Amino acid sequence: MVDTATAESAAKTNGSGRLEVDALVVGGGIAGMQASLDLADQGFKVALVERKPSIGGKMIGLSKVFPTLDCCSCITTPKMAAVAHHEQIELLTYSEVQSVERDGDQFSAQVLRKPRYVREEDCTGCRACELVCPLDVPDLENEFGRTAHRVIRVPFSTAVPQKALIDIEHCIFCGKCLTACARDAIDFKQQPTTITIEARTMVLATGFEVTPLDAKAEYGAGNLRNVIDGLMMERLLAPTGPYGRVLRPSDGKLPDSIAYVQCAGSRDETLGVPYCSRVCCMYAIKQAMLLAGALPLADITIYYMDIRTFGKGYEQFYQNAKAMGIEFVKGKVARITEDENQNPIVRLEVIDDRSRIIERTHDLVVLSVGMLPGHDSTETFGVPADTDGFIKLRDTNASPAATTREGFFATGTAAGPMDIVDTIVTAGAAAAEAAAYLRNGNALAAEAVAARQERSVAHA
Amino acid sequence: MPESTDQRAADQPQDEQQQSPDAPLTDQPQAVQATSRQPDQRTVQQTVEQTAGEQVRHGQPNAEEEPRIGVYVCNCGGNIGDVVRCEQVAATLGKLPNVVAAHSDLSMCSDQGQKLITDDIAEKGVNRVVIGACSIFLHEQTFRDTLQRAGLNPYLYEHIGLREQDSWVHHDCSTEATEKAIRMMSAGISKARSMRPLEPVRLPAKKHALVIGGGVAGLRSALSIARLGIKATLVEKSHFLGGRVARLSHVFPTGEDAHTLLHDLIEQVLSEPNITVYTGAEVVGSIGYVGNFKVRIRQRPRGVTPDLASAQAAIDACPVEVPDEFNYGLSQRKAIYKPYDGCYPSDPVIDWEHCTKCGKCVEVAGDAIELDDTPTEFDLDVGAVVMATGFRPYEPFPGEMGYGEITEVITLPQLERLLAEDGPTQGKLVWNGHPVRTVAMIHCVGSRQIEGVHRRQPDGRVNDYCSRVCCTATLSAAERIHQLLPDVRIYDVFEDIRTYGRGHEDYYARAGGNGVTFLRYYREQIPAVDRDDGDGERPVLVRVRDHLTWGDRIELAVDLVVLAVGMMPSPIDDLIDIFHVSPGNDRFLLEVHPKLRPVETASTGIVLAGTAQGPMNIQESCAAAEAAAAKIAVLLGSGRVELEPFVAAVDGDRCQGSGECVKVCPQDGALALETVEVDGVTRTIAVVTAANCNGCGVCVGACPNRAINVQGWRLDTYEAMLDAIVAEIPALEGCSP
Repeated sequence: MVDTATAESAAKTNGSGRLEVDALVVGGGIAGMQASLDLADQGFKVALVERKPSIGGKMIGLSKVFPTLDCCSCITTPKMAAVAHHEQIELLTYSEVQSVERDGDQFSAQVLRKPRYVREEDCTGCRACELVCPLDVPDLENEFGRTAHRVIRVPFSTAVPQKALIDIEHCIFCGKCLTACARDAIDFKQQPTTITIEARTMVLATGFEVTPLDAKAEYGAGNLRNVIDGLMMERLLAPTGPYGRVLRPSDGKLPDSIAYVQCAGSRDETLGVPYCSRVCCMYAIKQAMLLAGALPLADITIYYMDIRTFGKGYEQFYQNAKAMGIEFVKGKVARITEDENQNPIVRLEVIDDRSRIIERTHDLVVLSVGMLPGHDSTETFGVPADTDGFIKLRDTNASPAATTREGFFATGTAAGPMDIVDTIVTAGAAAAEAAAYLRNGNALAAEAVAARQERSVAHA
Repeated sequence: MPESTDQRAADQPQDEQQQSPDAPLTDQPQAVQATSRQPDQRTVQQTVEQTAGEQVRHGQPNAEEEPRIGVYVCNCGGNIGDVVRCEQVAATLGKLPNVVAAHSDLSMCSDQGQKLITDDIAEKGVNRVVIGACSIFLHEQTFRDTLQRAGLNPYLYEHIGLREQDSWVHHDCSTEATEKAIRMMSAGISKARSMRPLEPVRLPAKKHALVIGGGVAGLRSALSIARLGIKATLVEKSHFLGGRVARLSHVFPTGEDAHTLLHDLIEQVLSEPNITVYTGAEVVGSIGYVGNFKVRIRQRPRGVTPDLASAQAAIDACPVEVPDEFNYGLSQRKAIYKPYDGCYPSDPVIDWEHCTKCGKCVEVAGDAIELDDTPTEFDLDVGAVVMATGFRPYEPFPGEMGYGEITEVITLPQLERLLAEDGPTQGKLVWNGHPVRTVAMIHCVGSRQIEGVHRRQPDGRVNDYCSRVCCTATLSAAERIHQLLPDVRIYDVFEDIRTYGRGHEDYYARAGGNGVTFLRYYREQIPAVDRDDGDGERPVLVRVRDHLTWGDRIELAVDLVVLAVGMMPSPIDDLIDIFHVSPGNDRFLLEVHPKLRPVETASTGIVLAGTAQGPMNIQESCAAAEAAAAKIAVLLGSGRVELEPFVAAVDGDRCQGSGECVKVCPQDGALALETVEVDGVTRTIAVVTAANCNGCGVCVGACPNRAINVQGWRLDTYEAMLDAIVAEIPALEGCSP
């Protein structure tokens, strides 16, 4: 019997187990999708590898996006559809690049295809299996465990591809999905397979992770139930979110008083993160504005060190938030505790008139967590990271997408914190540099940079 | 048989297109018409075959195909659905004649939403699609692609803007908004009944892009465009490449030497055979459309030939002295000058505005100098244009924080010149004859301004935006001062420190370590700068109410005040008119959408690079320039472009050749009267050149015989839509969703 996962991989590779493309893009978030589209639209053949069962990245889980307040799906889902339907893009989800070797002018990447236990080519995404599955497990992947999903399920309503997968660790093999599936797509025997992707250039769009909720002991080390992070608030605000409205975790109460703690994981030497994460000011302000709409009577406070609304239209966005009555208090929150009703208590020094230590009780506190590197590029790709852990750039100013390994380009938050607007621009830049490399090789540029670095001291 | 729009294009003899480069601009419409019909007649002919039949009978219902309309109401993730009762709208519209499918969905633009449409096309035979959703600018192309994938002509789709035109403006009246949605979409359904397939106007495109601006963004985009296989021509208005970066000493976050960075880029540009560079050149006119612009360039002569051997002697001989704009007025230069050693081009240039043509330089240099300032003009045929027109530093008003009145108040760009080794003080921090021992640097001058607090700009607006680069640039300059002169005392007066970028925060951290004293002013109490009239040693007094010391009023006696001025766009009103692009409220050029199409303008084929679009640092400018190059490679890479089919079309049976349409047409070369022979009878009728028509519809109103219409938007379409808007609809219950 032919291994089914192999059969599916074989379909992608014309039976050879090898896929030849011009560019391999790693990561199917907004950066990777945009870079893939910008390369494919130029006529290059692209393979896009995403480790999760759906593309969309962190962005697809957001509510509305600043500064335009477009619904996030309105920006993300069409790009997801465009990637899925593009003739020049080969999409491999639930797959991970394990290693890359240089082979002459080619890179040879070993890509692990994880078993869905559902044959992708047969599944239509009808969700009949989901309806009959008797087991619910917490949805940790998309909803931070605040809702449940079936053991067999399509990852989320706007997932691409719309293909079911089984959480095999929790499956009791009752066989109900087998019976329900009209296409006979379920296959419990599916095994992981590996395919080889041959590419001439690689674009790393491996994204970011956020500061873990338990990173900071002073902020309750993750033990305070009504202290959540910015991404969790995005889900509470999203129309597809777990409750359809904003409820606080401990008791489901509608919060009357919500506080944001800025720089909770950025500009903080105690966490080894000296840098600014660049997005947290704007996402906090945006969420505050959305909350002001969803909970018109709630008090919303933002505790901050500096408000960094530097992008196009961002400062005006900040001033609008102030005009809406959102309170901005300058001061670094020192500690968060809770009272007997699990209301978080925020302690800080305010310096508005005289210095004084205050404690304020809120119903819900949101930590504006920062961005951390999402992936170790050195180990898998041999692409060195900089001291901040994000991918090191070869020529930061003049060639902002080139890494220090020839033929490898980086885009989006793989190369440092940035927002969606800046990410999409760098995706275009990475596509331009990768395409130029495909056409010319970048030996010329590398030589020029080396020469410049030599002259940099001697000049003038 | 009357001619169709495109046939006219195809029938033109090809030899007309030969146009000398210095033909006057007024002749250009003709030239563009010629280019549009240049190499690819086959494509144009195909278009004719596909659309000619439609155009002849336009205005008549399409007898062969009964409209089967699919109606889709998007919730838009709550943007629409929180106000408009989308399911009720779908249910109501589902009962209208010809509607065979009606759905509402959380997000129609998602893959699942699109699948609803493609399934209905396949299973229910839907052949017209009406979608009520966000703005047409956001997702028209998305849904056209959906129809095309399902095998339906992409123009058999009508987009109704339920978000901007309904839910967002009526967010507190759900019932009325729902009723309005029904009426708007009924109109769309009426339009759909008379829709017929259209084909885009397909034309060959020049694989050649014009880059306007020779600063770092322009250089970077020209280089990337060329490396993507598209020819690039770069025009720079001044006589030297490098723009604002040439005037910097060191750049963050790498600390590298600005001239080295720039010259490396310039060398790469010059060694690229696919790039042509013109300096002293500006755009004075443009006609045409994406794929086929004809752009008129005016180039002023340098006045100096490359044979000039003793450039310095010629410069020395010049008796004229004017403020040197390269040094932001900190020094004087001659009327024959070069901005700095190592500039490109390396020859000096004559500043015609100030040259008195006294001939002193000619006495030294002989024939190598020609005192003839007659500009030359020529045309470029390009497929796309990159606006890399850059920024200018904010110029404080006289007296604003002492600027212009107190000698010791300078701007950050001026400080950069003082710190540059090729600057007026050779990199020494000497000002007004005495060394500088204390400096106050004040942030946000000309940025983050407040209505009522700050003086308005001449256009009546204040600069309410953040200029993004000044915080790190200021701290980078402070670090440079500290490196050169560790004993200089530096005060940094700020509102917020925005060292957001990778490596930027390090400058802030190091500044503290280097002894820079930070004072945070209150937003609406901007610092005051005055001359110190007392007997203090320091000439200037900065007064600031400092947040960090709980509102203490602090006086800083300093030798030098540096205003960290923000960015304003270069004055490019002429280019805005020429290329029909729009500035935003902040006066920088506006992109279509910051996430969906971040480097494109609403004028197809005109893309943005760098600070023309908004404040950016060098890294961000280069990224934007590369993104612009990628967009141009996509646009022109295939060598052809498609234009919207919503252009005028003449019903040859009805046209009496009155010429009224030709008289009112505002587009050069779009409409003309021609004599044709039909069935042996010679008649004069109006003929449309599709490529030059922008579908404005002025001709439709002028025609006495109702013989001309805009494809896709015919008069009877409007009538049917109006009827639908005012038709009776079922009463809705007055309740909130």
